[in-house]
Amino acid sequence: MVVARALRDAGFDVVLGGMLRASDIAQMAGDEDVQIIGLNVGGRIEVVHRILDTLDDAGLADIPVLVGGTIPPQAIDGLVSRGVSVHPPGSPLAEIVDAATRLAGRVG
Amino acid sequence: MWVSASGVELEPVYHSHHVADGQRLAAGSLPGAAPFLRGAYPEMYRAKDWRIFQLSGFGNPSDMNERIRFLLDAGETGVIVKHDRMTDDHLYDVDHPDIVERREDVGLTGTVTVGLRDYETIMDGIPLESIYVKPGGGVPQSAPYTLACYWSAASRRGIPLEKLRGTGQSDFFLTYIGCPPKEQIPPGAAMRLNLDIIDWCMERMPHWVPVSIAGYNGADSGLNAWQELGAVFANAIEYLEAVADRVDSNYDNFARMIGGVNFRTSMDLFEDAAKLRTARKMWHDLLTNRYGVTDERSLRLRIHVVTAGSNMAYQEPLNNIVRGTVMALAAALGGTQSLGVSGYDEAMSIPSDHAHLMSIRIQQILQEETNITAVADPLGGSYYIEHLGQELERKALAFMSEIEKEGGFLSAIDSGWLLDQAARGQMEEVAAIENGDKRIVGTNVHRSPEELMPIQGFEGRSGEETWERAMRRLTSLRRERHGREATRRLRDLEAACRTTENVIPRVMEAVQADATIGEIGDVFRSAFGVWEVPMRF
Repeated sequence: MVVARALRDAGFDVVLGGMLRASDIAQMAGDEDVQIIGLNVGGRIEVVHRILDTLDDAGLADIPVLVGGTIPPQAIDGLVSRGVSVHPPGSPLAEIVDAATRLAGRVG
Repeated sequence: MWVSASGVELEPVYHSHHVADGQRLAAGSLPGAAPFLRGAYPEMYRAKDWRIFQLSGFGNPSDMNERIRFLLDAGETGVIVKHDRMTDDHLYDVDHPDIVERREDVGLTGTVTVGLRDYETIMDGIPLESIYVKPGGGVPQSAPYTLACYWSAASRRGIPLEKLRGTGQSDFFLTYIGCPPKEQIPPGAAMRLNLDIIDWCMERMPHWVPVSIAGYNGADSGLNAWQELGAVFANAIEYLEAVADRVDSNYDNFARMIGGVNFRTSMDLFEDAAKLRTARKMWHDLLTNRYGVTDERSLRLRIHVVTAGSNMAYQEPLNNIVRGTVMALAAALGGTQSLGVSGYDEAMSIPSDHAHLMSIRIQQILQEETNITAVADPLGGSYYIEHLGQELERKALAFMSEIEKEGGFLSAIDSGWLLDQAARGQMEEVAAIENGDKRIVGTNVHRSPEELMPIQGFEGRSGEETWERAMRRLTSLRRERHGREATRRLRDLEAACRTTENVIPRVMEAVQADATIGEIGDVFRSAFGVWEVPMRF
């Protein structure tokens, strides 16, 4: 919520998805023609990888993904190696907004 | 300008003229006597230490049983069962499509149950007749299922319900203000279920606290100290008046059933200690002034404290052991009856065995080594503490009036007003961290160039195998039960939901006929509908 508001304040058009299944995220990303997908991690990292796989399968691999939340430190490298922008708790909002701006520019 | 965490302006030092007459009068009372500002009991920790009461739970029911035994052996004096939030908060079976999609998460945030049999496993060999238990049911829609399972498991072991000691929760703050699940029944229906629980306990369970108001969840979602106080008592008013309306118009007969609350302590040591003292006074004043209650057991507010999980930093996590100690100290100085200390690995996972043990050890060290248990209300009479207390009370009462203007606690939830208040609090806190007004060692000040004290996030016994084991239990349960009996009981439950009949006996019958958690959830969703989250964004 805090991150969503910060992005909105920085000029992004933010659509909140809620607790979605991977297929719903892919659907929504396609329908809304989004520039970035943000995920709030609250569980095991396999679930995040499944979402990334689903996006890849849906042909949406070029949409950059940004994740925050309770990310176990040992899971960060695996996400980074898939091109995900990782922002654990305590990351300054400015850093997240910068990353989002940079990533949006890449596809935009 | 110096201010407390909730924005109370602070002088460099306090004198007698900062304490108003009302507060001075209350501070002149004794612990254990009205208005209980100074403590719930006369001798406080000399007579009885606070209960070490840690939240725990992960994996399958047998894992939970093992963890309970570990904690009891380590010296814990009560048991709280934490349930898997994906399945329990939603009332979903493990084969629900949303759960299948996140199957690796099953068992990560608590233990996963499919029905009554799992509670028998969780409690296997645990002396239910003598220990104090909070069997789960943190959120209103899952409480009837959880309590019915726990009470049925005890009954099957021959323990009469009237002997059981423990507490339910069914709290509105977690899922109607903090983090709403994807599907839950509307707040009005949740209130009705809670009233059914209260009604049932009033008749049969003299040692059971039917519901507990979890200010902690509001505070850790963004409400500040006086908002937390105000919202907790606004919620209490809603309960009190509803019970008086429906069950018994004599407040003396039931007010104590509502007096189970929890609060959060955070890093503002003195403000949070003052908050707990003020909470007892506010409860006493509310019951005497507004409802004419005279029963002393009712007027004495008993408090459980949980230390702020959100104050546990991701960076340099071992620093959090110090933070846990300071927040636990605030709880003890405020005179809590029981305490749970958040794990030092809170920002990255559920507590590891070691983090869990540290949460207990922090409390044992405070109890055994520091001598703070020798004297009741050690901060009482401090000009600063009494001033803080009176300011928190003034602001909390004003916040309660605002909630009343919104139509009362339930309306303030249903409209999204309280959710918005909490969201604003979160934004303000983040802004304060960003601009350096709020300093967090290792995160925005004194940050090390590289991680000095790395730890691994604990992954418990979640993962696909945990889910597969739960799936096998669900399949056997469905195969082995008397299918028609389960269906009939669920139909009875649905009929009760659609009238004013108390649902608790029907939920008990349903779980005893091996109805599953998801089937109970389907009945509730069908009878009550699903709440649309009033997110203001």
